[in-house]
Amino acid sequence: MKKASQICQSKLPDNTALKQQQLPAYRLQLSATGVLSGFFATGAFCLGVGIILILSAKSIKEIEIKYTKICANCAELREDAINFDKECTCSIPFYLSETMQGNVYLYYKLYGFYQNLYRYILSRSNSQLVGTDLKDVGNCAPFSKSHNGTPIAPCGAIANSIFNDTIILSYNLNSSIHMEVPMLRSGITWWTDKYVKFRNPTAINLSSAFTGTAKPPFWSKSVYELDLEDTENNGFLNDDFIVWMRTAAFPTFKKLYRRLNRVQYFIEGLPAGNYSFNITYNFPVTRFKGEKSVVLSTLTWSGGSSLFLGLAYTVTGAVTWLAAFSMMAIHLMLKEKRTLFIER
Amino acid sequence: MFCSKKKSLEVERIVKANDREHNEKFQYADNCIHTSKYNILTFLPINLFEQFQRVANAYFLFLLILQLIPEISSLTWFTTMVPLVLVITMTAVKDATDDYFRHKSDNQVNNRLSEVLIDSKLQNEKWMNVKVGDIVKLENNQFVAADLLLLSSSEPHGLCYIETAELDGETNLKVRHALSVTSELGADISRLAKFDGTVVCEAPNNKLDKFTGVLSWKDSKHSLNNEKIILRGCILRNTSWCFGMVIFAGPDTKLMQNSGKTKFKRTSIDRLMNTLVLWIFGFLVCMGVILAIGNSIWENQVGDKFRTFLFWNEGEKNSVFSGFLTFWSYIIILNTVVPISLYVSMEVIRLGHSYFINWDRKMYYPEKATPAEARTTTLNEELGQIEYIFSDKTGTLTENIMTFKKCSINGKIYGEADDGMGQKTDMTKKNEPVDFAVNPQADRTCQFSDHRLMESIKLGDSKVYEFLRVLALCHTVMSEENSAGQLIYQVQSPDEGALVTAARNLGFIFKSRTSETITIEELGTLVTYQLLAFLDFNNIRKRMSVIVRNPEGQIKLYSKGADTILFEKLHPSNEDLLTLTTDHLSEFAGEGLRTLAIAYRDLDDKYFKEWHKMLEDANTLIDERDERVAGLYEEIERDLMLLGATAVEDKLQEGVIETVTNLSLANIKIWVLTGDKQETAINIGYACNMLTDDMNDVFIISGNTAVEVREELRKAKENLFEQNRSFSNGHVVFEKQQLELDSVVEETITGDYALIINGHSLAHALESGIKGDLLELACMCKTVVCCRVTPLQKAQVVELVKKYRNAVTLAIGDGANDVSMIKSAHIGVGISGQEGMQAVLASDYSFAQFRYLQRLLLVHGRWSYFRMCKFLCYFFYKNFAFTLVHFWFGFFCGFSAQTVYDQWFITLFNIVYTSLPVLAMGIFDQDVDDQNSMDYPQLYEPGQLNLLFNKRKFFICMAHGIYTSLALFFIPYGAFYNVAGDDGQHVADYQSFAVTMATSLVIVVSVQI
Repeated sequence: MKKASQICQSKLPDNTALKQQQLPAYRLQLSATGVLSGFFATGAFCLGVGIILILSAKSIKEIEIKYTKICANCAELREDAINFDKECTCSIPFYLSETMQGNVYLYYKLYGFYQNLYRYILSRSNSQLVGTDLKDVGNCAPFSKSHNGTPIAPCGAIANSIFNDTIILSYNLNSSIHMEVPMLRSGITWWTDKYVKFRNPTAINLSSAFTGTAKPPFWSKSVYELDLEDTENNGFLNDDFIVWMRTAAFPTFKKLYRRLNRVQYFIEGLPAGNYSFNITYNFPVTRFKGEKSVVLSTLTWSGGSSLFLGLAYTVTGAVTWLAAFSMMAIHLMLKEKRTLFIER
Repeated sequence: MFCSKKKSLEVERIVKANDREHNEKFQYADNCIHTSKYNILTFLPINLFEQFQRVANAYFLFLLILQLIPEISSLTWFTTMVPLVLVITMTAVKDATDDYFRHKSDNQVNNRLSEVLIDSKLQNEKWMNVKVGDIVKLENNQFVAADLLLLSSSEPHGLCYIETAELDGETNLKVRHALSVTSELGADISRLAKFDGTVVCEAPNNKLDKFTGVLSWKDSKHSLNNEKIILRGCILRNTSWCFGMVIFAGPDTKLMQNSGKTKFKRTSIDRLMNTLVLWIFGFLVCMGVILAIGNSIWENQVGDKFRTFLFWNEGEKNSVFSGFLTFWSYIIILNTVVPISLYVSMEVIRLGHSYFINWDRKMYYPEKATPAEARTTTLNEELGQIEYIFSDKTGTLTENIMTFKKCSINGKIYGEADDGMGQKTDMTKKNEPVDFAVNPQADRTCQFSDHRLMESIKLGDSKVYEFLRVLALCHTVMSEENSAGQLIYQVQSPDEGALVTAARNLGFIFKSRTSETITIEELGTLVTYQLLAFLDFNNIRKRMSVIVRNPEGQIKLYSKGADTILFEKLHPSNEDLLTLTTDHLSEFAGEGLRTLAIAYRDLDDKYFKEWHKMLEDANTLIDERDERVAGLYEEIERDLMLLGATAVEDKLQEGVIETVTNLSLANIKIWVLTGDKQETAINIGYACNMLTDDMNDVFIISGNTAVEVREELRKAKENLFEQNRSFSNGHVVFEKQQLELDSVVEETITGDYALIINGHSLAHALESGIKGDLLELACMCKTVVCCRVTPLQKAQVVELVKKYRNAVTLAIGDGANDVSMIKSAHIGVGISGQEGMQAVLASDYSFAQFRYLQRLLLVHGRWSYFRMCKFLCYFFYKNFAFTLVHFWFGFFCGFSAQTVYDQWFITLFNIVYTSLPVLAMGIFDQDVDDQNSMDYPQLYEPGQLNLLFNKRKFFICMAHGIYTSLALFFIPYGAFYNVAGDDGQHVADYQSFAVTMATSLVIVVSVQI
């Protein structure tokens, strides 16, 4: 009986803010001036950012040289897989009219290479790359095992299709003195890639660590032979390899290849003058109508930003202001009408 | 799931009494019932099967299967699996608990005991063990265990009374009577045990009012009809015992055959959603086709050459096949346009809204400690779209607490007079209740104040005595003494209760009744009347009478009933009194009181004996029994002497007027469907402002034949247009009247009209031919009152509006007679009031007072609708923005079905990343607060017009979503194109792009709220 009365009592709903739907709520009170000033402020901000971005993008110096056509003979050679072991080099001279101040970065750029294909992106083994399990080639089809059944390291389509041209930039002080521009291969990867995501399997030396694995079919040398001089740049830790493994989002992309080592002549950057790219042409692109190019570029504080972002900001800012002005006009007109009405 | 499965369809049932072996041959179902759907073993398969019958679940299962095919799987299986498993588990748990309770109630029912005749002895047996052919003994107020053939009972002629509330919702008692041959068996166990009749009858069916069969016993055949059958679910009343033979048991009983067909109600938004989902699916297929074609072309142009480079030796793949696979891959990727979480979120939001209704203190009725209750959680937003309310009157608009207010005895009005009259009567004592101190048995709750009546009683006015005697004798009330020695009346209708209580307070106390006598205390002296005949009440007779012999030996017929009926039966000498009483009655009715006329007749012994013999003969008849009995009743109930009339007040509930006004301001049309008579209904209409004096016209339809009704409807309509035309500027051409009638649209009607239609007119009007006319007229009227309607008609009216007006309807009622209406309306609201719980049990929402309807609709309904619409718009927008990015990306990734986002992001986008803001909005958002939405009922209209979520809105949302997805994709695309980080590294890699997109997506769609 007591219980029953308690139940009766508890039937009365609790008087809490939640249950009575009385939770405090903020209701926007939109006033004309508030909205207008908001619009103007946003517009001003966007315009400002946009203009700064555009200016900084303009200050970037960039040189891009497409070399697929220039090195047509090499391209032709590479169309046939049989010629894979025939070396083909190609030299591309160019003239730098202005000094490229500050840090200069060397990129290679591919056109029409679909690194974002679904099956392509999947075709890698992260557990292998992090060095824990070399035999794990689960997702790597069709490049998981070699003909004799040994697992490929690094496996998968991405690794297999690594960009394997060598690009050497040389500075031609005059017609006789050709000086190789000192380039750094370090610091071109993401820190997390280099130090977390990519690890070599632990062993006394690399070649023994990779015993029992095969090299990817398109590769000319094994993964532990990528850089025999620097152990920190060998195996899975090879910078070029890591850069390649970070797949691009779009079919046209550029990837960082080297950065300028600012010593001697190049302490200020790249001085104006004659240069040439000496390229060992290995990577075939003509078969899928792709193109390759090399890019030299400086950077600003905002990175190598393109004009687009700046333009987008500017346009947004302008549109916002336009809207704000028209709203203000309407507002003033109405206000005038109202005051007229009241005066009458 | 039956206890024993029948092997073949039964055509005819042959049952032999007391012969289990014989009956077992036919393998009839036994009396064990299972309303539960599953047991432990079958739960999983059956429940899963049922769940996957739902389109959404099946669709996701299909997707899941697609994803398991490695060739086309573009997303890993968990993207669909995780939400699907979540949803299915939740539903399964809910179903399991529901079923557990069903198991419990089944067990309880199956284990009820009843007395069964086994081996010539009465034994207590569980219901589930009762077999077809058994003979069962029932006692008063017991539930009937199975469909029985009545054999004998304690009452004369093998009569017994049953209440069929559980079957058809009618609370009045019904009479069943046994065959005379079997009723002779009486309570003689040995004879009953030897009873070996064979019943051949129809196969089990669900027709409650029909039964045909033949009983063969002792070489003779007796035909059986519905009158001989007591159905399971009935309750035996006013009969101390009866015996019956089980014909149908368990699942074969008519009750069980009727059950389990409750219609699943869906909201209009649900239905819209279904079409939209289909459209979206079409859209999905279109996108899939585009991308698949794109893929074929790409494969043909680029991929072929590319492939040798990337995919070593898969040269045998052709581009068309690849396109085909891509199509399915993209179907999988783009399926997030209709994510499963949409359904889950909708349910969650509705559940939240239901809880808000349950929690609302302003809908809590402290006097009965009943909070409002949302019994269905799926209909909330429909509450914001109601256009028509069908309301019961008694107990819904009114309190259904009857108080005896006035009476007219022998041409004199007694009782509390209104102010105008009060001046003339005794002023000083006017408002003091009569002191019933003289009467220790008085019921304090009844306040009747007129000392003149007390004085008349003291003076010994014989007419007054007779009047009160009628009140004390002529009724079906049962009395009971509680532990404190106080009289408690068991009343079936509150009207009767009020009258008997009034008589009790005035000194004529109904003490007890047996089947032969009624004992009352007349001003302190106990008097026992012999009950000679009881002429019961029904809806056609609209009156009831008792014939009693008083201690002096006089035989008297006391009658009370509807005035219109009773006045026709009066003796011609009553002319003067009749006119006087009629005046009084119209006065009472004008005050909204329920009236009954009271009359008596002195009978002489001889005449009565003859009549009684005829009645007995008639009662034993098989054919035309009812007609004969009714005829005899007619015969004796004539030449009545009028005594007076009673007026019982059924008070309007608190706040009804405000609620009605507010709801009609919100453009909700309120139709009152009541069983009361026309006058009372109209009065209530006036009382709660539904009918007003400044209405242009009130049409009353009360024709008795189809033709008359049609005429009246036509006339009313013409009248309406006529008047309407006079409002307009007269450009209407009169010769085209007929055409005009059809072409004038409802909206052009100005002015207020009301329609009042009678029960039997309604019956004709609901026939197919005139239906349209009725509807047209009714919809043009502001108020519609239907009086004298049966429960079935209530449902028919609701169906009519639902079907032809395409409007959202709400039915509100409190009694068993409203159940059909509550079930057939889009939303049924039950008022937990005086008349039991049937209405509440059948309803979707329930609360204690009519006035809460206002809050339910204008506040909760409106909020629910607004929130749900906003939620749906937003959800579609969000998912379009989310998903279409894949579509755009398709053009840049060789249509390879590469997703833009990370897999887990896709899986969790709707569940984790963007769920809380939208849920919070869907549950808590208030565009205006409750006070404002009560104060400005006009705010309700967008819901009725379905303005906030319709196909147009959907396309706007969709376009908005597409636009957002474009911006979301192409701005990052532009920004990432040819860009390097500040340390020179390339940042346009797939992962950073995916993260950027995902982040901006989450920010954009969240800010969009």
